[in-house]
Formats: sequence, C-alpha cells, structure tokens
Amino acid sequence: MIPPNPPPEARSDILRQWAGTPVTALVSLVSAAVAISVTWALVDWAVISAVSPTRPIEECAGASGACWRFYLEKSRFMLFGTYPYAEHWRPALVSLLLLALSALVGLRITGRLRWLRPRMLLALWAGVIPMAFVLMGGGWTGLLAVDMSRWNGMPVLLILSVIAIALAFPLGVALAVLRHQTRRPVLRRAALVYIEGMRGIPMVTVLFVGVFVLPLTLPPDTRISPVMATLIALVFFHASYFAEDVRGGLQSLPVSQQEAAFSLGLSRGKTMRLVLLPQALSRSLPALVNSVIGAYKDTSLVVVLGIHDLTSTARMAFSEPGWGQFALEAYAFVGAWFLLSCAFLSWVGRELHRNQGARRR
Amino acid sequence: MRPAQLCLTALSSILAVTTVPALAGPVMDDIKANDSLICLVSPTAPGFSVPDSTGVFQGFNADFCRMAAAAVLGDADKADIRGVGFSDSMKTIVAGEAHMGSRSITRTGTRDADEGMAFVVTTFFDGQGFMVPNSLGVSSAAELDGASVCAEDGSTTLLNIADWFGAQGMTYRVENIADKTARLEAFFSGKCDVYASDVTALTADRQLSENPADYVILPEVISNEPLTLVARPDQAFEAALFWGFQVMLNADSHGITSANIDEVMADLDNQPPAVQRMFGADSATTDMAAKLGLVDDWAYQIVKQVGSYGEVFDRHLGVDTPFGLDRAETPNAHAANGGLMYPYPIR
Repeated sequence: MIPPNPPPEARSDILRQWAGTPVTALVSLVSAAVAISVTWALVDWAVISAVSPTRPIEECAGASGACWRFYLEKSRFMLFGTYPYAEHWRPALVSLLLLALSALVGLRITGRLRWLRPRMLLALWAGVIPMAFVLMGGGWTGLLAVDMSRWNGMPVLLILSVIAIALAFPLGVALAVLRHQTRRPVLRRAALVYIEGMRGIPMVTVLFVGVFVLPLTLPPDTRISPVMATLIALVFFHASYFAEDVRGGLQSLPVSQQEAAFSLGLSRGKTMRLVLLPQALSRSLPALVNSVIGAYKDTSLVVVLGIHDLTSTARMAFSEPGWGQFALEAYAFVGAWFLLSCAFLSWVGRELHRNQGARRR
Repeated sequence: MRPAQLCLTALSSILAVTTVPALAGPVMDDIKANDSLICLVSPTAPGFSVPDSTGVFQGFNADFCRMAAAAVLGDADKADIRGVGFSDSMKTIVAGEAHMGSRSITRTGTRDADEGMAFVVTTFFDGQGFMVPNSLGVSSAAELDGASVCAEDGSTTLLNIADWFGAQGMTYRVENIADKTARLEAFFSGKCDVYASDVTALTADRQLSENPADYVILPEVISNEPLTLVARPDQAFEAALFWGFQVMLNADSHGITSANIDEVMADLDNQPPAVQRMFGADSATTDMAAKLGLVDDWAYQIVKQVGSYGEVFDRHLGVDTPFGLDRAETPNAHAANGGLMYPYPIR
C-alpha cells in the first residue's frame, strides 16, 4: 500500500522573512519604499499627470506627465523612420517575421514546442532571411524599390541583431569545430588566430573597418551600403564569441564520448555531427544566450556609422522643430522596447539554467 | 527585361529622342528616366532637414531638393530625399548614386577642385560663432581666453578656432566629441565652456537644450561658410539648379509667393516685364526649358510648389519658428536690403 503523503510543510512566516532581524527589517523597508516611489512616479508620469491621446498636442506643453499624443503621432516614424509611408506594411511584416522566428527559437530551446524540429527551424531561417531583404528592398513585381538609406528603425535593428546573430551562429560553430579538432593543425591555428584576434578588437573598431575599409577592397565601381557592410562586420564579430561558447561545450564533454563513437565505427565527421556537437551545443546554450543578449544590446552602437536604428529614429522624432520637448517620451519608447526584448532573452536564459539543473538531478 | 517593359523602354527612348534636346546631359537623362530625383540631406538638422511624422524630410535644405524636382520633373514630390551622413553623402554623389546634395556643405577651394562633384549655388551664407551659457558672464568672444571649447572633430570648425584664437593670442582647450548629441550634452551639462559651430546650427542646437534662454550666441562670427548645393557634374542639371534658385530670388524681389502666384498668373499682362519674362507662356523661361530639358512652366512650378526664397527661409527658420532668425539681420537678406542674395536677370 502506498503510504499517504505527509502534510505539506507549514507556510513560512512572511513577517519573519521580511523583518526577522533589525537589519532585514531595515532592508525590506528601504526597498519597499524605493519600489513604491518608483512605481508611483511611473504611474504618475504615464497616467495621472499624462495628457490623453484624444487631447490636442498643444495641451502637452505644460503637462509634467507623458504626452500620449506624441506616440499617436510619432510611433510609426520611430518604428520605420523614413521608409515610404504607404509601404510601411513591408518593414512591419519583416519585423514581425523576424520577431516571431526569434520567439520560436527561444521557446524551442527552453523545451517548449517539441513538435518543431530543428530542421524546420533551419528551413524557416533560410526562407525568412532572404525574404526580409527582398521585401524591404522591393523593385520587383510592382513593389516600389526602396534604397537602404531608408531602412530605418525597428527592421534595421532586427536585421542587424537577429539576422546578424543567425548568420554568425553557423560560422561560430564551424570555427569552434576547427579550433577543437587536431587533425588539421593549420586550420586549427587559423581558427585560433581569427577568434582571438576578433575578440581582442573592440566592436566599434570592427564596425568602422566594415564601413570604411571593406568598401576599399571592392572593385572601384561597386558601392556597398552601410547597412550591408555593418551586417557583414557584425556577423564576423559575433561568430568569434559564439565559437568560444561552443568550444567550451565541446571541451566539457568527456573524452569517452568520442572513443565510444569511434568504437562504433563512426567516422570523425559523423562523430562530430551526431555525437559531440549535439551534446556540446546543449551544454553551451546558457553561454550562447548570454552572448546573444550582449550582441543584441550592442546593436545600437551602429548609430555612430550613420545607420538609423530604433534609438536613432527616436532621436530624429524629437528633432523636428517644435517636438524637442518630447525627448523623454521618445527615449521611454526605446527603453520599453529594449526592456521587453531583453526580458524575454533573459527569461530564456533562466529557463535554460533551470532545465539543465533539472536534467542533472 | 520583360517584353512589355522592353517596348515601353524603346517607346520612351524614341519619345526622348524627339522631345529632349541634345544638350541634356547624363544626370538630367537619368533623373527623367527614373522619374525621380535623388537628393541627399543631413538626417537630423532641425530647421534644415529633419523627417516629419510620415518620414518625409522637411526643412530649408530639403526644399531645394523639391525645387530641383519641380523644375526638372514638374512635381516637387518626385524628389527622393534621403538622409545620409556627411562623408558618406559626398561618396554617394561621386559614385553616381545620387543626383544632388542639399546639406549645408561649405564651398571651399579644395572641395570644388575635386572631380565628381560640382558646387552650384550658395543657398545660405553662414559663419562660425560661439555659444556660451549665461552663467559664464561673457558678452564677447574676446573674453574667452583659456576656455574649453566643444567642437566637431575633423571639421573646418576646429581649424577656424585655431586660426582665430591664435590671431587673438589667446589659449583654449578643445573637447573633441565626434557624436553631435554627446557633444551638445557635454556642453549643456557644463563639461565645456563654449560650443562652437555655424551660427545657424547654434541657433538650432540651442533649441535642443532644456531651457534655451540660458544660452547666448556671442556676436563674433569668425569665418565665412557659404553653404552650397552640390550636383553631379552635368551642365544642364547645374544650370537647372542655378536658375531654379534665381527664380526663387526673383520671385522674392517681386513679392511673389506660392500663395499669390496664381493671382499673378491670372493677371500676367499687367505685371512688370521681368515677371512676364519669368512666367509668361512664350518667355525667357520657356526658351530655357527647351534648351535645358525642363518642364515648360518650371518657373511657375517652383514658386507654386516650393515658394520664393524668403518664403522658404521664413517657413523653416524665420521669426515665427522656434529658431527665430530674422532674415534681414543675416547675410541672407535680399541684395536690395543690403544682403548677399542677389537675383540674376532671367531674360
């Protein structure tokens, strides 16, 4: 007979947890006060002192709170910048596709959506990435051609983060494998020099090289747009960080895995592909997510190259004469976006840690 | 190329051969073939070029892009105005990927000597000045000995400062900050005593502070900055830009604006001869249109769709705007009022 479950443990005493000793009481009090005042300031700004979007913009002048009319007026500009107004559905669609795909990957690696095979994800990426460029660029079957200098705001932020990361990942894995293997010492050294060299250079330098030096290496009558040059530079930069994350995973595998695979008669290639890499990748996921968060946040640095990502379009939104007083609203918009997207990324990171902990137990 | 497209191209090339005179150059042909004029402006220059809520660039400089499109294509909205950084915009024009630039480029000897870029006509006479906070208690640049100056790296600004401070026998210290927003922030937060730039840029930048009244622009102007339109070299296109601008100045002389141009046209016979020569059906401008490959009523289209020079100035920079520039007090006043804006005869 199965013995009955013991009664659950008594609930912990909240009062004792929060104010058991004078020190905890003080800390709790201070943090509660800070939390309340911050929340209050936020509510006051966004709701109580705010001017509702139905009021005319003139009323915002004296208000101490948010001017919601500003968002009504400028949201589309902050999201899509100088992209032709009538064609905004294209950057919107591209942004949604890239966001949805990123969310799918995030959910999948935290162990949800099991039906989604990695192969399907790969096919989706292979389809969506070229589609993003074709749709943004236009110039076919009656779609208005749009120059890359008009790719602004959200889509360019996502192209330079999501697509750069997606393209850097396979390159990073390849570099990690090259650096890990011992059969081809020349390639091993080359990968080592590349990875260490890239990681030793600040990202801004890589970006400047991409935008100012890369065009010099092209034939004289070709010009590469800053967005493309930056994308290429970012792919090569991020790849070196991903390579180190994956190499960490490869090195953490016990050597018996490789020996076992060999004893089953698997070739070196198959051993890497079927036995070592899958385990290494799942082990290096937390480190990879960490690198992805860093890469994503660094994307805003492209402003120095004259590329207008979300931060830059927000700045342009309040540069229009007469709108200068809405800098706070504009930056709050950007801040809210980065808060949300980074919150999702770090949630993925936390889930991964928890899953791995669970697996080990 | 699909057959239908091929037919269309062939048809349009035949038409072009019969209607466009031989003088029209490659840039002019390119603009007409694409039915769009690519014009580069600065991405964020309040008052000069900044996108509105629908992402279309508005401002003093952007209006000269519209002027060109109105003259060549008959429709100011066919100007494809793109915001591009300073050095990149020069490269883009030289590489032939844009037709013109209207972005406060100072016309200097060495720049003009470069191939691939032609300076056409000065739309704005500017000069470099200094902005200081009221709290500094300075009323003349001669009192700035030992000051720290925030200025843009690599621009003519730094060279002018070096010249001027050197000539006055004063010392100074430069805070080099490449990014404009960061540089302004450094100035507003007191990291440097003086902010140096073109006077009009100072007027615009002062608006970006929390309290513009806390800052004063010193009276000294230490350099000449003729801000000039640039074009890809093409004789016909350069002439179109130059004379398009002259139409705006001449309209100014006669008090003609986009608001009253239609009344003027309705009553053309009673107008002064100079106005008749500008807007008449068989006049100096129609003659020019045939030779340069412009739309027949290009002078009317410019004034109707863009306006006169004074109108454009007042709309974007004038006393009723946040910048509050009084045109009569700048070198950009009409020549009749002692300024440098001297309308050339259209005849």
